[in-house]
Amino acid sequence: MVDVTLAAVTGARCSGATLLGTWVSATLAEPGYFSWLETGLLLVGIAVSLTLFFWRFGPILRNIFRSKKDTDFSLAPVGRRVWDFVWEVLCQGKVIRQRPLPGLAHAFVFWGFLAFALVTTNHIANGLRLGFLSPESYIGRFYFLFAAAWAVLVAIGITGLFIRRFFVRPIWLGKKVSIESGWIAFLIFLLMVSYLGAFFVSPGGDAVRALWWTHTLTLLVFLPLIPHTKHLHLVISPVTVFLKRAGFSKIPPLHGDEDFGLVAGKDVTQLVSLQVYSCVECGRCTEHCPAFNTGKVLNPKEIILGVRSYLNELGPASEVALLAEARPETAFGETLSMEAAFECTTCGACEYQCPVGIQHVPVIIGLRRGATNTGAWEDTYGTKLFLALEKNGNALGLSAMERDKFIQKEAFPIFDGTQEYCLWLGCMGGYDPKGREIISDFARVMKYLGTTFGVLKKEKCTGDPARRLGNDLVFQTLAEAGLKAFETAKVQKIVAICPHCVRTIANDWREYGIAPEIEHHSEFMARYKDRLPKQASGESIVYHDPCYLGRYRGVYEEPREIVSLAGTLVEAPRSHERSFCCGAGGGLVFLGEEKGERVSHVRAAELAGTGAQVVGTACPFCNTMFRDALAEMSKTPPQLLDIAQLTARALPEMHGLGTRDQGSGER
Amino acid sequence: MKILVAIKQVPERDAQVHVAADGKWIDESDLNYTINEPDAYALEEALQLKEKNGGEVVVVCAGPERVTSTLREALAKGADRAIHIEADDLGERDTLGVARILADAMKVESPDLVLTGLQSDDLGLGQTGVVLAELLGIPHATIIMHVEVTGGGLKVKRELEDGWFQHVEMPLPALLTIQSGGNKLRYATLMGIKKAKTKETKTVQAAAAAASPAIMLERVYLPEKQKKTEMLTGTPDQVAAKIVEKLKFEVRVI
Repeated sequence: MVDVTLAAVTGARCSGATLLGTWVSATLAEPGYFSWLETGLLLVGIAVSLTLFFWRFGPILRNIFRSKKDTDFSLAPVGRRVWDFVWEVLCQGKVIRQRPLPGLAHAFVFWGFLAFALVTTNHIANGLRLGFLSPESYIGRFYFLFAAAWAVLVAIGITGLFIRRFFVRPIWLGKKVSIESGWIAFLIFLLMVSYLGAFFVSPGGDAVRALWWTHTLTLLVFLPLIPHTKHLHLVISPVTVFLKRAGFSKIPPLHGDEDFGLVAGKDVTQLVSLQVYSCVECGRCTEHCPAFNTGKVLNPKEIILGVRSYLNELGPASEVALLAEARPETAFGETLSMEAAFECTTCGACEYQCPVGIQHVPVIIGLRRGATNTGAWEDTYGTKLFLALEKNGNALGLSAMERDKFIQKEAFPIFDGTQEYCLWLGCMGGYDPKGREIISDFARVMKYLGTTFGVLKKEKCTGDPARRLGNDLVFQTLAEAGLKAFETAKVQKIVAICPHCVRTIANDWREYGIAPEIEHHSEFMARYKDRLPKQASGESIVYHDPCYLGRYRGVYEEPREIVSLAGTLVEAPRSHERSFCCGAGGGLVFLGEEKGERVSHVRAAELAGTGAQVVGTACPFCNTMFRDALAEMSKTPPQLLDIAQLTARALPEMHGLGTRDQGSGER
Repeated sequence: MKILVAIKQVPERDAQVHVAADGKWIDESDLNYTINEPDAYALEEALQLKEKNGGEVVVVCAGPERVTSTLREALAKGADRAIHIEADDLGERDTLGVARILADAMKVESPDLVLTGLQSDDLGLGQTGVVLAELLGIPHATIIMHVEVTGGGLKVKRELEDGWFQHVEMPLPALLTIQSGGNKLRYATLMGIKKAKTKETKTVQAAAAAASPAIMLERVYLPEKQKKTEMLTGTPDQVAAKIVEKLKFEVRVI
């Protein structure tokens, strides 16, 4: 990306210099002198513009500063923050990478603005008779031409963005066209043209003066337009990117006896305030949201803008409920609703995409916490799930004896401290028929590799569905029970087949203690890939990235290495960090029927559409979602296998391993 | 309306129970306890009646120190107060003995309505509620699916056998034993638990147990599988006659 830019810059500069050099002096023309009247007018203009700017920006700053403090905030690790700032803000990495064309257009405008910092300062200083950069000097000559090249790129970029917004009109930008954005684009264009024009006129004439004043007035009009529009991101999003909470979808701990999550304005923290005011309304979050794309009410952008409207209307100290259902008397932010909040699969696509550092998932989970922790969320399935977790300690509501029987049948050793690994079964691995197949196949792989392992005698859910549905009571109880179980059994290393378990144990449990080191079975198997058999099947296998393994854990390559051992890897149209959710996450697999299209059907169709013979998964929840979806879609759907099953099917029969039929009943 | 709910703490449903060494009860070490399921429905009914008609819900539980966790859970779900009747010797008390200490604690409260589960998950006697009503001197109705407050009294729906229901009108105060499944249970919330911390739990001492309870548990044992084979001997005619006799008079199927 950097190379491309440099090439573009040099190219533009060379051609610009030669082109200009042939028929103009290639020097910026400036008014020779400024009368006291002009300087006075300029000062008044600046004062008015700044006053208007702060008149509008002040209340926003107040709302941010008066929001609740983030008790868990820490600047460390600063290195990471600096890197994010350099990559996401200065390099525009995310902006370009995730939407190349508009992203590049935006980057030109942004870099152009940076280049213009010096030009603009000198421009205003001139008017105050304090100019410091002469167009005649070597530095001035070079710099003004350099800025001119950028001005051309900015003008092209902003024109492109204008066309996109007003003629192409992608739905992500919102149904209503923002006229104001048009004005802003026009002002930016005018700034560039009035700057470039000064290369084509002779110094000292009226034309120069007219251009100078056009440029100045445009600047003065532009400034007060910033705060109350999405262009506020110009000012605060660099700060937001730098200050965003460390870690992907990091759910902050609750603080004190009165904190139940995001119930009312008083619960909105400074980071959340800063983030909602940074929103540039680009709609990248919406574009990638599985709920929005399948006809649900939820639109992550509208959640963020809903909180913003709330803060504008009621302020950060309000006791009025955030969720629309609980404040029927208000006429704003109706999209900030309980219905929407509970449609989120917590896949994190929105948060991953956001170019201005907004962390949507903690906000949505915060809203759920507010509803669940206070008992406001009444849902038959949700209640059933919570009661099952309270009573049975597993999300499926089955008796723990079922797990005992399974362990006995498979002859899994009980972890006693002598084995290297504790094999975590999870609710799916311990109770679900398909999950059990995955676990026992993975156990075969471990045995084949000669790795010793044992399972816990008693195991409860990690609390993942309770955590994501905002039930902190159940989550805390389960997390503490789990930590104690590992401590009692003296477990050092854990391996699990479920990315949700891995994430919850490794990250979410930290609020209550430190769990032993845990890894996903894809990471485990990839480490031993040289010792696992390479299959000559030539089968095409499309791999689906689970949200909690990919975006949440950054594990993309390990499962692909395993898939490549079993056959030919095929990529889905949306893969890696842009993978589309299976619909199960965020506890949604346990809730009732979805509104609109099923997320799982959309994704299953996409995977099957690649024509691959096998759909490879790395999460038992994705697996169960696709099993149902694929079966409904076609009479001859592609085979559906977890990466553990893909590996185990090539292992030789071994004695005393509690082996089952190879390849399971699916073959 | 003041509603008292008598609840019992029992071993968790999927607990692996073992008979204690003396054979008179189960081994209580290593067991997790929870609220008796029908009592959970009694509590839910009480909370819904309070939400509809106002008033106060007080939970009452007899047992050792460990039962306070069940009381706290009830407070977290929305009960206003709790009364813990300290008694470490529940096993030595029969139904009448347990009902007596419950009645002692309840009388001073002069409740409008007393609710309890229709039976317990562990002993399943189904007697405590009925005996308690007798001791309190108030009318009772059992196996209740639905309760409605009407003017000065109640209209309740009782479950009979074979899909039949009975609707009964009764005066207040009264005692009802509640059937499971009539309502949807609620989940405990963080806010409820935090609020429960500030709610009152009164501890009272149980009166000494009667010297000789009327009913005593003699032996607890797992269901014994029986397989008895009897060989009939004789000529085919004699054997056939014996089979007919047995089917007629012993098994009574012909």
